[in-house]
Amino acid sequence: MVSASVRKSATDLTRRRARTFFTVATLAIAVASISFLAVPTLIDGAMQEEVRAGRLADVTVAMRPVELSDAQLAALAELPNVAAVEPRASVDVRVLVGERRAPARVIGVRDFAHQGVDVVRVESGAFPDRRELLADVQDANVGVYDGRAGDTLTVVRPSGEDASFAVSGRGRSLPGGEQVQDEDVIVLYAPAATVAALGGEAGYGGLALRLDDSRPGAARATVEAVRSYLRTVPGFAGFSNLPEVRAPGDWPGKADTEAFAQLLGVITVLALLSAVVLTSNTMSTLVAEQTREIAVMRAVGARRRQVALVYLRTTLFLGTLGALAGAALGILLSSLLASYFASAFWAVDVGFGVDPVVLVVSLLVGLFAPPLAALPAIRRALRVDLREALEASGSALGGQDAADRALRRVGFLPRTMQIGLRNVGRRKRRSLATAVIVAFAVGNLLAVLAVADAVTESTRSAWGDHLEDVQVSTGGRALFDQRAEQAIRSTPGVAEVEPVLKNTVALAGRKAVVWGVEQAPLLRYRLADGRWFSPAEEQAGERVAVVERNIAQIVGVDVGDRITLATAAGPAGFRVVGIAKSQQEDGTALYVPLTTARALLGRPTGASAFWVRAESPDQALVDRTTTLVEDRLAALGYEVASEVTYVAERDEVEANSSLTTTVAVLGFVIVAMSMVGLANAITTNVLERTREIGILRSIGARARDVRRIFTTEGIALGIGGWLLGIPLGYLLTRLLVWLIWEIVEVRIPVVFPPVNVLIALVGTIVLALLVLFLPVRRAVRFRPGDAIRYA
Amino acid sequence: MVVAGRERTEASTRAPLIELTGVEKVYRTGKLDYRALRGVDLSIGAGELVAVVGPSGSGKSTILNIVTGIDRASAGTVTVDGQRLDEMSEEELAVWRGANVGIIFQFFQLLPTLSALENAVLPLDFLRRGSKRERFGQAQRNLELVGLGDKVDHLPAELSGGEQQRVAIARSLAADPRLIVGDEPTGNLDTVTAAEMFALLERLNEEGKTILFVTHDRELAARAPRVVEIRDGLVVNG
Repeated sequence: MVSASVRKSATDLTRRRARTFFTVATLAIAVASISFLAVPTLIDGAMQEEVRAGRLADVTVAMRPVELSDAQLAALAELPNVAAVEPRASVDVRVLVGERRAPARVIGVRDFAHQGVDVVRVESGAFPDRRELLADVQDANVGVYDGRAGDTLTVVRPSGEDASFAVSGRGRSLPGGEQVQDEDVIVLYAPAATVAALGGEAGYGGLALRLDDSRPGAARATVEAVRSYLRTVPGFAGFSNLPEVRAPGDWPGKADTEAFAQLLGVITVLALLSAVVLTSNTMSTLVAEQTREIAVMRAVGARRRQVALVYLRTTLFLGTLGALAGAALGILLSSLLASYFASAFWAVDVGFGVDPVVLVVSLLVGLFAPPLAALPAIRRALRVDLREALEASGSALGGQDAADRALRRVGFLPRTMQIGLRNVGRRKRRSLATAVIVAFAVGNLLAVLAVADAVTESTRSAWGDHLEDVQVSTGGRALFDQRAEQAIRSTPGVAEVEPVLKNTVALAGRKAVVWGVEQAPLLRYRLADGRWFSPAEEQAGERVAVVERNIAQIVGVDVGDRITLATAAGPAGFRVVGIAKSQQEDGTALYVPLTTARALLGRPTGASAFWVRAESPDQALVDRTTTLVEDRLAALGYEVASEVTYVAERDEVEANSSLTTTVAVLGFVIVAMSMVGLANAITTNVLERTREIGILRSIGARARDVRRIFTTEGIALGIGGWLLGIPLGYLLTRLLVWLIWEIVEVRIPVVFPPVNVLIALVGTIVLALLVLFLPVRRAVRFRPGDAIRYA
Repeated sequence: MVVAGRERTEASTRAPLIELTGVEKVYRTGKLDYRALRGVDLSIGAGELVAVVGPSGSGKSTILNIVTGIDRASAGTVTVDGQRLDEMSEEELAVWRGANVGIIFQFFQLLPTLSALENAVLPLDFLRRGSKRERFGQAQRNLELVGLGDKVDHLPAELSGGEQQRVAIARSLAADPRLIVGDEPTGNLDTVTAAEMFALLERLNEEGKTILFVTHDRELAARAPRVVEIRDGLVVNG
């Protein structure tokens, strides 16, 4: 048989079922929000499995196509520290998807049956033979091509001729999937011989290596050994890009995921802060409501410790329920989120998973936070005067301070609304806590909306700086030359052509992209400091650079500094003449004179891309001109990929908005929590004032009068929270913008559009009306007699 | 035991304002049924001043609650001023009460955030009767009637127990109802204040109001012209 005090702890919960439900729901959501922290671990687990299964390369080198015999490949595999080597060929083509010509990349695999690195695995169907192609699973996932086994695909070869291929099925490899994700290109796999036939040129454009020791020092030494060996191979002209060395444990997109996870962590902290206020509010209400019972227990001889134990036990019961429900909800939520991200970005299945550390933390927080949050309220209740407490009727006093006097001066509202408004002042601590909870939601919503707006604005302004209508690039097998430039210039509809030479480099260990551009480029560059390079510097091919502000700040570079770039051709020194704030390449671009870039890479007339301006910005003309340019270049044997500015801008705005939508969905958890908090506060108020409702009904109040009193109270709390939420939202916006710069290294402006503040107001009122529905209905359903007798 | 009372006045012979016939009331609390009234027949004429007495739990307050429509009878008919309360909905009852009955509670039950004047005007606000100015004028007059004309802006917490009960009486008079009921209206007051309050009720009765009140106070009950005694849910006298 349980003791009477234990029984009281339990029956306090069953006596107020609605309140118990809301409290447990609040705790559960708070505990569940901790599970956000498990998302990166779950994704990482799945991706590491993917890395193992796909034997992801530790080092990847790119070069102009070189023919390698089996013996030479075997020799490469014999080099110290090389565990396996896989040659890669690829050709950029266009394929017909319906009526549309879409850019595609066919990746050649030497022998599908024996792959040592960056393994292409079959997901459905079979490996392709010489007349077949295997589509990457990401093609369908990203939405560029949803072909499957049995379909036929028409490939437009670089030479312009059509060739038909059967699709043998769907396959996957991490590097291939990454290219679909990053470049929106259709990735297809084929035997290396097919790629050679399509490109009209044999040879491999890259090597993927797995190493015994993948630490940076060992990897660098191996890269040098590979370079030395390749120098003995006829036709090798050096690496065409900086070798990519994968850090141990890294996978494509890991840095982005981690950056995103850190932002998720910020939201989790906000959710937890909100939860702390909510939990302590709920607990103090729970205890305050029982002031009279506490006094009765004290009157019949209970010691303070015994009374405190009764309520600590009650909160522990609540905590247990909240922790269990929250942990379950959290496991579900984190698995769903991880699955969503992994499948959306990499088409990888995460499945159902648990991060044990996060689970334990969730359970501990759920169990012990409620009793801790209740302690101050319990202490207060134990100290009240016994006689006063015994006479407490729950709602005897009306406030009489300045705030109450101000509320009493609102005389233009109907009496019922006045009562509702004044009721806000009756339990100030509770009202304030409720308003703070709503404020968290509003602030969070405003910050997320502001960041979404800022990202869109910054994307638009970065694209708005592009004066070209289309950028035509080579696939990387060979650079464009003057012949290509002439072909574009003579294409009908073309007004202006400008060669650009882009190359990946490293600045102080950070990946950056050199843009070799003309002195007066088709780019509206914006300078933060210093100057652009001069015509004289361009003519002389001087090693001067204008550095984007983001990377300049990260590596600590200023105007006048000398920097050394690690390039595919070895280290190169530059003098910084200006700092730009154009946000190209996410703020990692370095602009150098085209002549300098060409000299650096030893390609005096080479260009990796052309910026083309059509005779008018009319989209139909731009589309037609792009097709003509592609055809002409293809007929000359160039691999072509084109990026139409207006399409790319639209796509990027869409991609960004889906990301910010995701953040907004997560922010919704905070909103949900605050609304549960509001519902809880109003339910408590209704219960506490049940007698008063009875009295009102006795003196002639109709259901709608009572409804109006409590609705006004709820809306007033909501609006109070909204008002508090506006400055909070502004601060959070600044915090998020700062965090995005610190974590993701992307600079976005601080914007705070007033229309968002109005959206938040409407949202607050609508949600408040929704959550008020149940408690208010309860209030009007009381029969006056039952309400007056309610204890 | 018969409680002493004055002779019945003529009023009881007039057309009844309140007519209870075979009224039963069963409260369901958990697994137990509690029969608070077991077939009450009671008739009260317009203009009467009636005290209802009886031991705790006898059903006194239940009778008041049934007469005001705060509680519903489990059986029997309840007619007040020609209206069958047992046939009305909760909403109709609320509106009817606001217009026709003034109720005074033992613990005053004023709204703590409203001033004396606002408390006194509340039933008129609910009734939406007259202009705002007219409503306040009426409430002001009622407060003056109960001797609180100088404290209209005070909050309940700033008034003494007796003053709070006067506000409650002023509130009960708001809609100028024919019937005023009090559930232990002096139960929470000292004897001097209680006597003053009763005098006020007597005055209202003289002005034509029908007054029905429950009390434990034998002396007070003895001052009423008619005393109804309830015991174990039945009218045993009166």
